[in-house]
Amino acid sequence: MSGENAPVPDSQSAFGDRYEVVTGSPLPEFSTRGGDAYVVRDKEKSGGDLYALVHHPSIPFRNEVYKTLKGKPIANLICPLDRGLMNLQINGKRTQRLVTILGRPTGGALMGLDGKLNPRVNANRLRQNVALSILKAITALHKRGFMHRSIMPTNIYFSTPNSDDVVLGECYSMPPGYMQPFGMEALDLALADGTARGVGDIESDYYQMGAAIQALYFGEKVWKGRNRDSMLMARVNQGSFWALNGGREVPGALGSLIRGLMADELAERWGAEEVLDWFEGVGKPKRTTMKAWSMNRPTNFKGVAVVDRRLLAHAFARDPAEAASFLKSIDFPSWVQMSFKDEILTDRLESLLNVKPDSGFGGMRSDDYKMVTRVCMFLHPTGPIHFKGHSFFLGGVSSLIAEAFSRDDRETLSAIVELLDAKFLQTLADISEIQGVKLGTQLSDLRRMMPFAASKQLGKGMERVLYELNPILPCVSQRFSNVWIGSVIQLMRALERIAANGTTRNILLDRHLAAFCATHGVDLEREFNNLAAAQHNPAKFNSLSLNFFGLLQQRCKMEALPSLTSKLVDGLAPAVKGLKNKKRREQVQAALEKSKKGGDIARLVSEVNMVKVQAEDAREFAQAKNLVTKLERERKKLMKKVLPNDPDARKAGLKGSRLVAFAGLLIVSFLTFF
Amino acid sequence: MAKKKTPVAVRRRRRPKQEISGFGPMMVVALAASALYSIDAAITLAIGVVPTIVLGFTGKGDHKSERLQCVGFCNVAGVIPFMVQAKARGWEFVAGDIFNIVLMFGAAAIGYALVYVGPLVAAFVLQGLNEDRTKKITQQKQMLVDLWSHEVLGDKEEKKPQEGKGFIR
Repeated sequence: MSGENAPVPDSQSAFGDRYEVVTGSPLPEFSTRGGDAYVVRDKEKSGGDLYALVHHPSIPFRNEVYKTLKGKPIANLICPLDRGLMNLQINGKRTQRLVTILGRPTGGALMGLDGKLNPRVNANRLRQNVALSILKAITALHKRGFMHRSIMPTNIYFSTPNSDDVVLGECYSMPPGYMQPFGMEALDLALADGTARGVGDIESDYYQMGAAIQALYFGEKVWKGRNRDSMLMARVNQGSFWALNGGREVPGALGSLIRGLMADELAERWGAEEVLDWFEGVGKPKRTTMKAWSMNRPTNFKGVAVVDRRLLAHAFARDPAEAASFLKSIDFPSWVQMSFKDEILTDRLESLLNVKPDSGFGGMRSDDYKMVTRVCMFLHPTGPIHFKGHSFFLGGVSSLIAEAFSRDDRETLSAIVELLDAKFLQTLADISEIQGVKLGTQLSDLRRMMPFAASKQLGKGMERVLYELNPILPCVSQRFSNVWIGSVIQLMRALERIAANGTTRNILLDRHLAAFCATHGVDLEREFNNLAAAQHNPAKFNSLSLNFFGLLQQRCKMEALPSLTSKLVDGLAPAVKGLKNKKRREQVQAALEKSKKGGDIARLVSEVNMVKVQAEDAREFAQAKNLVTKLERERKKLMKKVLPNDPDARKAGLKGSRLVAFAGLLIVSFLTFF
Repeated sequence: MAKKKTPVAVRRRRRPKQEISGFGPMMVVALAASALYSIDAAITLAIGVVPTIVLGFTGKGDHKSERLQCVGFCNVAGVIPFMVQAKARGWEFVAGDIFNIVLMFGAAAIGYALVYVGPLVAAFVLQGLNEDRTKKITQQKQMLVDLWSHEVLGDKEEKKPQEGKGFIR
């Protein structure tokens, strides 16, 4: 419907007035998965090269990183300078978007998006400038408790055309490691889906640094055009360094640096200290060796003999149905004993894994997926959780949900609902803990989400989980596709604009809107419970909607919202019409008409509490009906002809006669004696 | 030995309470009082209230006490003048004249007549009162309909005055 989508505000914000984004001049080299980059002009302050990043609403950005970088920028890292909402004309369509202004390096990317190397890049510069600049940037970031996770040769720039100084691209516009190429992520993280890699660790940044320098050294996108499975096999069998460079040697000191940084074992991977030692020439090159991930004897799965546990876990994850039937067909404890001689399958671990032999009752059951997940966790405890064809770290569930919602992928969302099972997650945590790996604090965050996930109630469900886990995400309801709704105030203003142009009927039944309000509002559970209960009663629902918006307007101390008030009052027409008492109906109608002009919903609610009025009306109507029934009964009784034989008439008559007789007696006595 | 409990079914049904008018004791008191006044008057009273005494013993059905009182009061009213006469001339003088007896018993007959007429009058009056009350109920219902519409009567919609008419021409 035409009036359903929230229109873009007429006027620009103060931020929008200050900056002019030239949407006709995109800067693809600065664009990320989280936003598109454009040339920008600062109208207030000239000088300084800037670019604007127009955020995509469906991808959550890293707000904490923004705050730390804006407050205190880091040298050799592109830092955000300002951000705000702005009305833009993109592809001929007027939209409101969140725009971040960042400092723009003018020397160009070290590697273009087409894979073309910047002519100024050479081994010497890589050694002397690039490595040091990246190290400076990421160590400063690490000191503040953040990982970069987006170190790509295409995301490193010369600060000026003539300078050798290098700056690292921004990392705040998307979740950590979001959609990074398989080869450019540390092995454990790379095994997870591109959208669910989680926060990662410091070491993963060093891996990316090594991989980026390697790509720059060879002058090509070393991750491009490689089959994921063969790449994984190569990385597991030969190590990531050799797998990524295709067996080519990087000679000299630079080779030692890259090898050290790309070591697959965390203990062997170079960190800041080793890199600084390398600069000083006292490098102590570590050899990339294989940790004992290999099993004592190969396991034949789907016709392939697999020796590495990580590869087996990955193979199981790729085909959980086949994996389940495989696990059920073997004597699991004996298989573990034979394949992992160094490990003891304790009773506890066995009960946690809970691999049951085939009971012979046909197909795949829901618990079979969980069984495969448990075994995968046992096989590769440092790797991602593999569940129903998805691989993710718990820290990456938030971005996975956001991405699933952006594609309206109901299958993934239902898999996550199934995953959010306290017992199941605790079992996974226990299995990994036995293996010496902790699942971390993300588990407690997810536990908080469990009551919401499976609920169908308004203000709950996976929509609520989306906004709870991604508090910075704007409301992604279709109604707000043109605008950016980051807070309840912005939501109310957008509703005001919708009301001015179209209809707001049943707007609170929008699950995204309800979940967003429930997340960003405080103590709205009761209101949503009432609204959910009145879903099929339009009159009551509209009254409750009025109360709800009144509450929000009051809490946010908002300005008058005349259009919204007017539409809400119009929406009350069935409720007012439904009032049985004619006098009350007229009074309420008059009061509503009077109050709606002011635009103060809270005041309107305090003056005309429709819910209370409706309840009072219903109660009085029931009383009136009872009275009518009673009167009718009495009337019917009175309509009968009264006969002298009727008990009442007889009784009254006899009493009257007695009175007359007594009076006669008194009179005669008086006259006789006196 | 403990007494055997009577089985529930065999237990005697309690007789319904008799209507107590108190007219008997009152009559005894009246006779005693009149005897203090004059023996002749007391004898006259005793003879005069025979219809009431008969009714007291034979009367049955509902409102026995009212009927008895009604007849009794009328009867006594008819006897009193003759009691004064009896004191002056002796009870034989009063009882000896059949006309006096007819007057005394006639007073009781008036009491009986009142017993018959009373319910008739009451029915007539009550009918009038009921009509008044019906009018008031109709008014009250109309007020409720005005306030709450026809729904308050249990109708879904207000019936139009011409609805249903014109069906048969």
